[in-house]
Formats: sequence, structure tokens, C-alpha cells
Amino acid sequence: MQPFALLSWVGLLVCTLLYARPTLAPGVGTPPSWLLLGVQAIFAAAVFLQERARPDRLRGLDFVGLLRSLVFGPGLLATICVLLHLIERLLKTQVPSTSPMLFTVLYTVNVGLFILFLARTNYSWRSLVLFRSSARLRRIWEWFELLLGITLLLSLVPRSLPYSLTTALLGGLAVLGVYISSHQKWVAYLNRRQKIQAVLLQAGIIVAMGVFAAYFLQTQYDPLLVAPAPQHAFLVLNAFFAAFYAFMGLMVTFFNLPTAGVFEQKREEILSLQRLTQLIQKSQTPEEVYRMLFDSAIQTVEADAAWLEVESTEGIDYTGQHYHISPDQAAAIQRLLTEYNLGHIEYLNNDLQNSAGFRSLELSYGSMIVMPLRSSKRQYGALYMLKEQRQGFDRENLSILQTFTSQTVLSIENLQLMQASIQNQLVQEELKIASSVQDSLIPKDLPIDNWFEISSHAQAAKEVGGDFYDFLHLPGRRLAVLIGDVSGKGITAAFHVAQMKGIFHALMQENPLARNEREKFPVPSKFMAQANSALARCLERSAFITASLYIIDYEHGGFVFARAGHCHTLYYHSIKEEVSYFHTAGLGLGIIRNDSYEKHIKNQFYDYNPGDVMVIYTDGIVEARNAAGEEYGEDRLQQMLERTYYMDAAVIKESILTDLEEFSRGQPMHDDQTLLVIKFRASQPDIPL
Amino acid sequence: MKINQHTTDHTLTLVLDGELDASSSVLLDTELNQPSILEYQKVLIDCQRLNYISSAGLGVFISHLQRFQDANVKLVFFNMQEKVHNVFEILGLDSLLTIVPSEAEATAI
Repeated sequence: MQPFALLSWVGLLVCTLLYARPTLAPGVGTPPSWLLLGVQAIFAAAVFLQERARPDRLRGLDFVGLLRSLVFGPGLLATICVLLHLIERLLKTQVPSTSPMLFTVLYTVNVGLFILFLARTNYSWRSLVLFRSSARLRRIWEWFELLLGITLLLSLVPRSLPYSLTTALLGGLAVLGVYISSHQKWVAYLNRRQKIQAVLLQAGIIVAMGVFAAYFLQTQYDPLLVAPAPQHAFLVLNAFFAAFYAFMGLMVTFFNLPTAGVFEQKREEILSLQRLTQLIQKSQTPEEVYRMLFDSAIQTVEADAAWLEVESTEGIDYTGQHYHISPDQAAAIQRLLTEYNLGHIEYLNNDLQNSAGFRSLELSYGSMIVMPLRSSKRQYGALYMLKEQRQGFDRENLSILQTFTSQTVLSIENLQLMQASIQNQLVQEELKIASSVQDSLIPKDLPIDNWFEISSHAQAAKEVGGDFYDFLHLPGRRLAVLIGDVSGKGITAAFHVAQMKGIFHALMQENPLARNEREKFPVPSKFMAQANSALARCLERSAFITASLYIIDYEHGGFVFARAGHCHTLYYHSIKEEVSYFHTAGLGLGIIRNDSYEKHIKNQFYDYNPGDVMVIYTDGIVEARNAAGEEYGEDRLQQMLERTYYMDAAVIKESILTDLEEFSRGQPMHDDQTLLVIKFRASQPDIPL
Repeated sequence: MKINQHTTDHTLTLVLDGELDASSSVLLDTELNQPSILEYQKVLIDCQRLNYISSAGLGVFISHLQRFQDANVKLVFFNMQEKVHNVFEILGLDSLLTIVPSEAEATAI
């Protein structure tokens, strides 16, 4: 389109030159005036169509940018027009003979500039008119364009058209232009500064338009002009629309200036709410959130003084802050509010001086808002805003503060939830550590000797458990085996497990005052009595521990044990070829916490034979349940040993565990499970190294 | 777990119904903790409907044992199911507590 416009302008220039001085090309002669007007019309159409096809010059909401590029782009064409005119006037005084032709050429140049200016201006106006417009307005605009295009043809047809029809068409188009000019929606999107800029820029466009108008009005009847009158109807209508839209925009913007502050404030409120939301989400601590709320609230409602009161919470030192008001004054106002039963409720007073109570405080404030910070669960505090003038706050201030505070409370509660979950995670971590510590308490290396086999299994129901077992080699080819269960679960139980192990290792020390070999180490009943008195002081009242201690003397082929409330020992007697439980009496540890405990614990001696099997376990094994709620039970355990006693200790253990697993399949594990299987072998003489 | 109680003269009878585990033992502890309970001469525990007792449940009885003894209040269990009795026995509590087969025997003590 661009070369076409340029070409048609060159054509126009040539025609005009020939028209002004036919002697330049005698063979061609004077071109008819319809040709001149035709070329002019083609040029105008080309320029307008080119402008029409351009992408929208409005970028986002940059209305000022659009106006500025219009004024400093095509607007400057007016300056060129004036300059050319001045040059022409200057030349006329110097070389009078050339002036009619020069005048005509410059006139043609200026017509071209004016058409360019109009096209650019009116298509900029299109961007503004159609900004967020309805489909109806778009259709109206298209009709407006089409009708304007028709007026371009008007001067080409022979002047036989009835005058009234032309007038009606032109008048109708002018009215349509006025109607379209009333669409100035874009003005609402300007802030105060932008509105001032827009007023100045629109004034600039009107000035540019005036310059052109003045030029054409002045040159219209100049005797030097030897060109036919230009496309009047089209150009006048376009000029009228361009000027009128600019004028309307100027007026609308100008009269919107006083209210720009209000608009801007509302905009600012929305923006600060967005800002607050974004900032608050980044905040790491409740204190940061409160500070953010306080600053945003003061800025948004333009308070002269304010304070924030935050109820003290665990772990947060922050209790609020003050802005342009002393804590004493704030406290005095708060006392007054409490007296009136107005503390911590939403409250707006626009005439504080009307209240005798407030006057007595001798403070200069006229308006006040109290906005509580609360959720459905609890009260977090309250925000107090003060203004010097009366009627300083409105309902909108109240509602925006409401939004602010509810956003704040939401964030505070989110933070608390997050902290709780972090705390929870820490506890989980610590439990893991406790679990690994406890794991390290379980003997990993089982005693190995050719007199017996030991196989063990231990599994805690939770991270840490209450079951324990341990081994200790004693001099004289003896082995101490301890098994037990602390009542309760969790960290407390785990703690007592560690304690029991400590007691075991401490009591199983050689007594230097012993008179004979046998008394160097406590017998199991003595051990239980001592452990009981050691535990008496630190075990909580409702807790108790069950334990069994076996001291196996594999040199003499016997063992002695005491059962302190622990599960009965299951035993396979190879001589009798039968499996049975040792039913011995014995009270759990921590149940009686005085010396009388010793009466409740007994030692049991037994001489074992090669092939005998001892099964030691905790109640987690026999109390494991199946889907029907039945317990595994001592009988089932006994039957298992009857079936497997001849196998290796490890195989016996695995068989029992497999059976247990099948029995309680699909059921959650309720209690810790510990199982030890000891199988005695035929005694073998020591092989000297 | 439900705990019903009825009193006659100087005797308080607590009827335990259900499983005495970690959570329900709190209920029992509250009952036994009442100071007025020490005004009775006897506290009978009816275990007929007690299906299961956990170590937490045992702990509750154990923790009140000394207090009852000091106040000279007799604590008597009766109608105990065999598996529950077995739990008491394994822990050695049968030698420490009075456990009788029937209510008649419990009242007779």
C-alpha cells in the first residue's frame, strides 16, 4: 500500500504542476480538473487504507504513549507545513516570477501532509473508541468508515446530485462522528498524572489541526493558487471528527481531573491489597506478616496515626507497634473503648470530638476505625486507625481493612500450620534417631560357643519399642541372658529399656568382696530384687517391667533363672521327649516398691541335657491376634516347638515366626515382638589352642 | 469399654465391660482416683465382661494398690475370665491381689 500511496502522491504532484503551468509539457496539455481530483482521491484512499491496515497502535493501557506518538509524529507535520509556507513567503519577496508554481506545489505538499495527519489521527482515535467496546460500536465504526469512503467519491461525480442529499449525508456523518466521539472509556484508566499529560497532548493535536486549518483557510482564496479545490467533503468531515474527538477527550479528561484522586485511591487500594497478598505469602514469621499489614493499612487509608495490638502468643515476642502515637495515648484510647464496650469489635467513628469521653483525652483526632484480627477460632488482636479530620473514613476504608485483616489472619494461621508440621517433622526425625539408638542397644553379635546355639528375632511395633534382651559372658563359662518388656510404648518405654540394660551391666559386675566363686555374681532372684529397688525410684507409678534372667552354666550343664512377671519359658526336655512351660511364680518389677519384693521372686534351677531347647519370648508373640481377634497363645507356640524341636535353633525360630506371620496376616502389629531360641548341644571338651 | 458401678452399704462394685486398653484405662483411672472411693471398706471389680486387659490396664490397678492398702480398702476381683486371669498370673499379681471366682465369695470376704 505504501508505494501505491507514494506513487499516487507523485502523480498528484505531476498533475498539479501541469495544471499550474501547462507549458512544461506542451504535448500533454492541461490535465482536466476531474483527473486531478481523482488522483487526489486515490492518494487519500491509499493513505487511509494503509493506516487502517496497520496493527493497533495502542499497546496495553499506554494511552499517553499513543497520544504522544501522535503529537510528536504526524503532529509535527503541521510545523513543516508552517515552515514551508514561511519559506514560500520568503521566496516570493526574492523571486516573484516563480511564486505561483511554487505556491501550488507547496500547497499540494501540504494537502498530502494534512491527509497523512488526518489518517494517522483518526485511526489513533479508532483505537481509543474501540477500546473495550461492544460489538455494536464496532459495527457503527465500520459504517462510519464506509460512509466516509463514499464521500470521497462525491466530488468525482458530476455536480448533479441534489444539494439536500449531499447535505443530509454530510450532516448525518457529522452527527455520527459526534456520537462516536462520546466514547471516551479510556480516560477512566488514567491516573492523575497521566490525565494531565493526556490533556496537554490532546491540546497539542488541536493546535496542529488549527495550524492546518488556518493555512488552508488562508490559502483557499489566495490569487496565486491555481489548483482546483481539494476533496472538501471527505477532508472536512475527517478534520471535523479528528478535532471533535480530541476536543471531547480533552473535556472529559479535564473534567475528570478533580476526581482522579478518588479513582487513584481506589486503584491504589486494589494494588496495595495485591501487594500485601504477595508480600504476606513470602513472609516467614508472623511478625513480618503483622508489620506488612500495619504498613499497608496506614498507606492505603492514609491514616495520620495508628497502632496495632497483637495478643501475645507462645514463641512470638511481637505485641504490636505504633505509628505517630505514643503507647500511652493508645492505651488511653483503648481504655475508653473498653469502657464503652467497643474493644475488639469492628467500629467506625467519624466524629470523635462529639464524644465527651474522647474530648477528655485532649487528642486532636476526628475519625477512627477499629478493625479486629480474628478467625473463627480465636482473636489475634486489633488494628486502630486515626485521622485528624472528621468524616475521615468511609465504608470502603472499613471494607478494605476488613480484607487486609482477614488476609493477615489467614496467613498467620497458615504459618502456624506450617510450623506445626515442621515441628512434627522434627519429632519424627528425633524418633528416627531414638530408633537407631535403640537399635544399637540390641546385641548384634550373638554369643557363639560349641555348647549351644542361639537365634534371635526382635521387631518393634513403632519407631521405638519396650522389648529388650541382652547377653553377658560371665567368668567360669557362664552366660547371662536377659529378656524383658517395659509396659507402655514410645519414648518413655525406650528410655526404661536403656535403663534396664544399664542396670543389667552394672549389677552383673564381679563383686570383689565375694567369699566364693558362686557369690561373685548375683543370682537371678537377687538381681531382680536389686533391679526392682533401682527402678522403684524412677519408674512412674503405673509403669512396670517384666523380665527373666537366665544364667547358664555350660560347664556344669545347668542353668538358674528367675521370672519377674515375664512370660513363661517354653522348654523341650530331650530326655522326657516333651515340651512344657516352666510354671514359676514371680512378680513384675516396679509393682511393689519396697524390700518385700524379694519374697515374690524365686530362683529355679534346672540341669539341661544336650538337645534341650529353650524358647524365650515377649507377650507380643503370644498376644498377636488374627482377623477373628483370637490370640496366638501359649498352646500354639507349644505345638510349634513340638513339631520343630529337633531342628537347628535358627530353623525353629524361623518356623515359629512363619507360623505367627500366617496366623496374624493382614493384622496390624500391636506390640513389640521378641523371640530367642537356645538349643543346648552335647558338651564337648575344650580344645586347647 | 464401659464401667458401671453400684454400691451396697460399705461396698462399691465396679463392673468392667469390654477391653481395658491404653485409652479405656484412662476412664478406669479416673474412677479409681476419686477420693470418695477410699470411704468404702471394699471395692469389688466384676471382671465377667472384661475380655482383655493390656499392660496399661494392669498399670492402673498397680498404681492404686498402695493407696488402697494404706486406706485399708480391700480390692477384690471376681468372675475373671481365664485368659484375663492368666495375664494377672503371669505378672505375679495373683499373689498380690485378691482374686476370687464368684461374687458371693467376693462379698463374703
